[in-house]
Amino acid sequence: MLEKLLRSKIFIWTLLVLPGLWLAWPLFVTHRPALGADPLKFIYLHFGFVACVLLAIVLTFTPLRVLFPKSKLALALNRHRRLVGVASFAYALLHLTAYLLHEGGFRTLLHDAFEKPKLFILAGLATFTILLVLAVTSLHALVRWMGGKRWKNLHRLVYLAAALAAYHQIYARKLFPVQVLWIFGPLALLEVARILRQRSKARPA
Amino acid sequence: MLIRTPKDWETSAAVTTESHYHARPRREFLRTLGVGLAGAALLRPGSLFAATAGFPPKPNPLYPASALKPTAEEYVTGYNNFYEFGTDKEDPKVQANKGWKTDPWTIELKGLVNHPAKFDVNELIKKIGGIEERIYRFRCVEAWSMVIPWDGFALAKLVALADPKPEAKYLKFTSFQDPKSAIGQREGNLDYPYVEGLRIDEAMNELAFLATGIFGKPLPNQNGSPIRLVTPWKYGFKNIKSIVTVEFTATQPKNTWNIMAANEYGFYANVNPKVDHPRWSQASERIIGGGFLSGRQDTLMFNGYEKQVAALYQGLDLKKNY
Repeated sequence: MLEKLLRSKIFIWTLLVLPGLWLAWPLFVTHRPALGADPLKFIYLHFGFVACVLLAIVLTFTPLRVLFPKSKLALALNRHRRLVGVASFAYALLHLTAYLLHEGGFRTLLHDAFEKPKLFILAGLATFTILLVLAVTSLHALVRWMGGKRWKNLHRLVYLAAALAAYHQIYARKLFPVQVLWIFGPLALLEVARILRQRSKARPA
Repeated sequence: MLIRTPKDWETSAAVTTESHYHARPRREFLRTLGVGLAGAALLRPGSLFAATAGFPPKPNPLYPASALKPTAEEYVTGYNNFYEFGTDKEDPKVQANKGWKTDPWTIELKGLVNHPAKFDVNELIKKIGGIEERIYRFRCVEAWSMVIPWDGFALAKLVALADPKPEAKYLKFTSFQDPKSAIGQREGNLDYPYVEGLRIDEAMNELAFLATGIFGKPLPNQNGSPIRLVTPWKYGFKNIKSIVTVEFTATQPKNTWNIMAANEYGFYANVNPKVDHPRWSQASERIIGGGFLSGRQDTLMFNGYEKQVAALYQGLDLKKNY
């Protein structure tokens, strides 16, 4: 049952669109001072948060398959790697767009990226650029044109994107935000486990 | 006979026009009763309402209009940084009103002064001679801003009361410590108690203010009840809330955010559009409650109070002393 659900594209699509709709929920239903006080900030923080969560989630799919090769659930999830990855990019794009609206154009971004460069902003921009390249090269035609090996090498950049996104999220707050640990922590653990597993396998018996 | 010229801040502030606010029930109530300062003292206002209630700010009839339009009260009281009660903007309104008591409240003057003393905060206001209203711009270091109608008194009056010795060069403010009531203090998200400091000449500046109310009402807990600092030319974190001691010192006191991250938050914390925070620009600011697309404005040097305070910092490198 769960496997069937997880295999379903429609189900995954719904899950991916919901965080965008959830944002509209407090707009109409409940009264949130933070939302009225600075609506665009509330919105861009939300989109950035969702982009990070989806990026961390999609990266757990491969290690789950490696660690549990017989699990049908892990297999089902791996059908949706591209979809979830592109969704993460889509939310990152919404995040950047809302941020630009919040800042009233490109002035602040250009200032913080080039005039007086700030690592926090550069990390965010670099993450976005990587996700953009990976999303574009996810088109079937481009995958074929690039060839499997080159494509795979390029798409390893996603690990850099995750590290940069975690950095960006940590430095978005004045104090260390604990949520970063539960967003990226499980991913880090799975990756360590996966590397250990692959090493023990690679060793000749 | 002194001919009094209006202060700059008064032309854009100082005065109450009822239309600023949605409602001012407490002031209306007191007015109806015909209760002035003397009457309020008889009533022992603290027991009737919150601490510092019953001191209606005296409007200044000379300056009937304000150029600054106050931010909606729901944002001033619902969008706060008060890490003692949580790190999200919406936390303090909830967490600071779960039994945290700010009445009665004692404030102590100590250190290098001729008149060290402890006052009940109501006694202090009586001694000072009541409160007045000032509408100030408020600029957070996070690049957002409000306009807030404060009620309170000039910090210079407190300094005069304490009568500092010549060797006193700084004021060190300390906030409350009560982990049982303050969830942020239990979590230890910052070094507590929160501390802040001013140079004594900054404290004597006409703009430096101790607020005991907003919108004609006593300070809500989440805004730093019952008494807090307001230095409108500095970033918000300088404006220490819920003060329990004011100590006069010879050396520059530490301030909490500077202890947490010295490269990001300095001692001076003067609003300066030309000196960036390491992670974001300070050139412009988001107006709280300004709506979806029209809520951004350029940040002004010293938050628009250059005329009143620039002289304090002549010869000081503001890039180094951020």
